[in-house]
Amino acid sequence: MADKSKLGMEFPLYSIKVEKNKIAEFAAAVAQKEDTDHIKEIYRDVDVARNAGYEDIPIPPTFPTSFAFWTGGGLLGTVNAVGADVSKLLHSEEDYEYFAPICAGDVITRKMKVVDMYERGKKERKGWYVQVTTLETELINQRGELVLKARTTFMEKG
Amino acid sequence: MAVNFDELQIGDAIPAYTAAPITRTHLVRYAGASGDFNPLHHDETFAKAIGMDQVIAHGMFIMGIAGEAITSWIDYKYLRRFSVHFLSMTHPVDLDDFENTKGRATITVSGKVVEKYEENGEKRIRCEIIALDAKGSKKLTGFFVVAIP
Repeated sequence: MADKSKLGMEFPLYSIKVEKNKIAEFAAAVAQKEDTDHIKEIYRDVDVARNAGYEDIPIPPTFPTSFAFWTGGGLLGTVNAVGADVSKLLHSEEDYEYFAPICAGDVITRKMKVVDMYERGKKERKGWYVQVTTLETELINQRGELVLKARTTFMEKG
Repeated sequence: MAVNFDELQIGDAIPAYTAAPITRTHLVRYAGASGDFNPLHHDETFAKAIGMDQVIAHGMFIMGIAGEAITSWIDYKYLRRFSVHFLSMTHPVDLDDFENTKGRATITVSGKVVEKYEENGEKRIRCEIIALDAKGSKKLTGFFVVAIP
């Protein structure tokens, strides 16, 4: 069970460069394309991206989820840090606030903390008791600008 | 983008988007792209060990499909908020029983304009969004906000 003493915990900062090939791979995955030649041009042609007003190839809107998985020990790094059991977790909510576009070449620093932890249901009622954890992540680019805020909520079955 | 703030009305639908039936290969591709290697999404033996019949899609893959629906309509640079609740699990299609299982694995995203307002000097709209499978099961609901140029 997630360790409630972790409420308020701040994770170490991690920085990661946004790679255009990784954007293309993500764009292919969510558009269910077999290869990156068939994704939208904006995700593979920097001129198309610039003509659309971006500094470089932009990310798909849910790409920020990958910053948590490719840094800090990935899924298990995060799950273990809050004392949860990965085999009992279900992702229940995701919320993004976008302040400025993230593009290929940006260096993003991830600032994540545990902002909520509470129990729902009664322990005696099997299947109805869950512990809810919410992580808030601020993404800051190489110019020190806050570009995105994410809130990720998961439930751990009791 | 050809979206015009003044022409949009409350209740207007955003273009519906239907994804291909989700296969296990799609889940593996999404795992590699996102870095989410929770074995629940690709390893049937793990799924069974924790009491589930089979692997399930990443919730974030379904949200990614919803993101594809949004950005097929309006550019990412106008997106200000995108927020969802995950409501049910999605099982991929079984390739040895395609016709009987494709419905549960075929996601359609739809939405409509629910609010028009100004904020931070921008004209913004708030849209509700929902993802359903072809059997009518709700996968996620939520909303997004875009600034209309």
